Amino acid sequence: MIRPRNDNTMSSDNSDAATISEIPRPIKMPTPMTQSPSVTKNESNSSANTGDVSDQICLTIANFNAWYGSFQAIHDLSLSIPRNQVTAFIGPSGCGKSTLLRWINRMNDIVPSAHGKGTLQLDELDVLSPSTDVVQLRRRVGMVFQKPNPFPKTIYENVAFGPRLHMKLRRNELDELVQWSLQKAAVWDEVKDRLHAPALGLSGGQQQRLCIARAIAVGPEVLLMDEPCSALDPASTLAIEELIYELRQQYTIVMVTHNMQQASRCSDRTAFFFEGRLIESGLTDDVFTKPQQKRTDDYVRGRFG
Amino acid sequence: MSMTVPTTNPSMAVPESIRLGPSATKESTDNANRRRRTSKLFYLLCLTISFLSVLVLVVLLVSIVYQGHSRLTPTLLTGSHSALAPETSGMYPAIIGSIWICVVCAIAALPLGIGTAIFLEEFKPANRYLQYIHGFINLNISNLAGVPSIVYGLLGLSLFVFMFHIFGQIQVNESSGTEIMGVERFYQVLTLGGGGHTILVPQTDSSQPTLQITAPIQAVDREGNSIEISVWDPKSGEPKPTDPAARQRTVRLNQVGGAYAKTSWYYFRIPFGQSFLAAGLTLTLVTLPIVIIATQESLRSVSPSLREASFGLGATKWQTVRNVSLPAALPGIMTGSILAMGRAIGEAAPILVVLGASVAKNTGPQNLMDNVVTMPVLIFHWAGLQQATYQELAAAAIIVLLVVLLLMNSIAIYFRQKLRLE
Repeated sequence: MIRPRNDNTMSSDNSDAATISEIPRPIKMPTPMTQSPSVTKNESNSSANTGDVSDQICLTIANFNAWYGSFQAIHDLSLSIPRNQVTAFIGPSGCGKSTLLRWINRMNDIVPSAHGKGTLQLDELDVLSPSTDVVQLRRRVGMVFQKPNPFPKTIYENVAFGPRLHMKLRRNELDELVQWSLQKAAVWDEVKDRLHAPALGLSGGQQQRLCIARAIAVGPEVLLMDEPCSALDPASTLAIEELIYELRQQYTIVMVTHNMQQASRCSDRTAFFFEGRLIESGLTDDVFTKPQQKRTDDYVRGRFG
Repeated sequence: MSMTVPTTNPSMAVPESIRLGPSATKESTDNANRRRRTSKLFYLLCLTISFLSVLVLVVLLVSIVYQGHSRLTPTLLTGSHSALAPETSGMYPAIIGSIWICVVCAIAALPLGIGTAIFLEEFKPANRYLQYIHGFINLNISNLAGVPSIVYGLLGLSLFVFMFHIFGQIQVNESSGTEIMGVERFYQVLTLGGGGHTILVPQTDSSQPTLQITAPIQAVDREGNSIEISVWDPKSGEPKPTDPAARQRTVRLNQVGGAYAKTSWYYFRIPFGQSFLAAGLTLTLVTLPIVIIATQESLRSVSPSLREASFGLGATKWQTVRNVSLPAALPGIMTGSILAMGRAIGEAAPILVVLGASVAKNTGPQNLMDNVVTMPVLIFHWAGLQQATYQELAAAAIIVLLVVLLLMNSIAIYFRQKLRLE
């Protein structure tokens, strides 16, 4: 695992990278953050390295099954996702990892034929229950998509979109929130002089970081990332990976990736999926260096998939 | 896991056509020249066909301009139709009438059409039976777009003009259906004032078309002031009042007054009768499928990833439609809507059915229930008349109509480009 090189991450924003954690949160954040500062400032990440997740579980998935029409995409899957860590889902195409990700914030509600059964709990909230308010759920569980998909509006409007959906903010509060989000997503330095320029004029990597800023502007606890770097060049990928590593201090991140190096570089835990089943999950180092299952071994060594 | 390594079968020979490659000159394999010739021929064919259609348009325009240029005068835009003096005839009432009908059509068709399209595109149900209903509505709308407009004219006639006679009939001086607002009914009675001076007596019984004055009565003058009316009996030997003011307040015994309706611009009754409101709503039926289909198309072309992004941020369906889908689809919606309004302005058949072929009108509509003349109907009327002057007028009116349509299309293109750039 490479640790983020905080001293000179990007030539343009090296001053910013150091100050990110010192930026105060805006006055009115949407959802109260559940984790205490002591957890977020736990730089040594002791919990990440011990493999003990029992006290820090954020998302519990148990005996989960999902279908598209009559096709079963996920079979009897159980997995716990710890708080303030990066969990990577790996596996060949069509193995159900994106499906699971999209179930966590009920994005599959849009797909008419999709239905799921089992337990999916975010803290105490039963995600699958029909009585769960998806609007509130998606506020707690943000999502970043495979292709950068900023709205065809200005950069400012893109970030302000989410907060405006949920609450009434005064102009200066909104300004502050937009700045905070963009700084958190490490694009502030690049866009601060053209906040009111069209977002589609940014480069792919900047657009993706803008999308991350947009997602964190509503104050989620969990960030779902569906192959966030697959449409980006290596330099942008590196920037996003470093950002993911930074964001872990405040958010629980679940990412789907096809890139094994990416999983090993920036995740704490890895879950390997195959044909809709969870084959193996554990600390990233363990999954990559001493996998328990032959299929995992084959996959991480690049023998198939 | 099984590993699939692509292997070559050594027993299979490489086909000759590939082995020789492009350098092969064998007649059977190399037909490059022939293919190039065919391609060129096809290009010329396409060019000819497209020029033919342009040629037809040019011939049409030239012949119309040739016929009508002499009548392209200010009179054409300010005058009204006259059966006696074709030289001073114009199309002012028709232009105003067409605009009003188009406005009614836009007010009714755009919200309905865009709303329907949003429902059909953005609120697709998950339930299977609702999906059937959804598909059924979709199919119907596609079919409705192909229905001839005269059929809509007949529908509009029974739906808006008569309203199936549920609310009574409209007959001159007898009944006006069910009046809702904007009308006061009086009897108009001649006074001794001379010069056709009349006073108005409020009508209490609408079934009586006339009123006979037999006793002094309360009435109103033209300004709406209440006045006391006295009666003068010529046989009584009483002298006729001499004061002009007194004469204006005196009515001869047994004087008969006829019915008179004072209408405000917001005069409203059902059924609509032969009014521009009925015509505009009929054209709404004609243009609704076009608006719906154009809006559906442009909503469909909005990238699903934008909707996902919006939902992912916790937006409700309405917030997504309002903030993401509609703004992104707006250029397409506007273009479709303006083209549909162009169709509405150019329609003659349904208007002829709903309003009749009368062109005897020299103003625009005076109230909501007023009849109007439209440009296509006027052109239809003029083109059918014998005199050469009317033929020229018809050609000139066609030029005006085309200019209006071109203007509308240009506005559509302008807005589309402007919104695209933003």
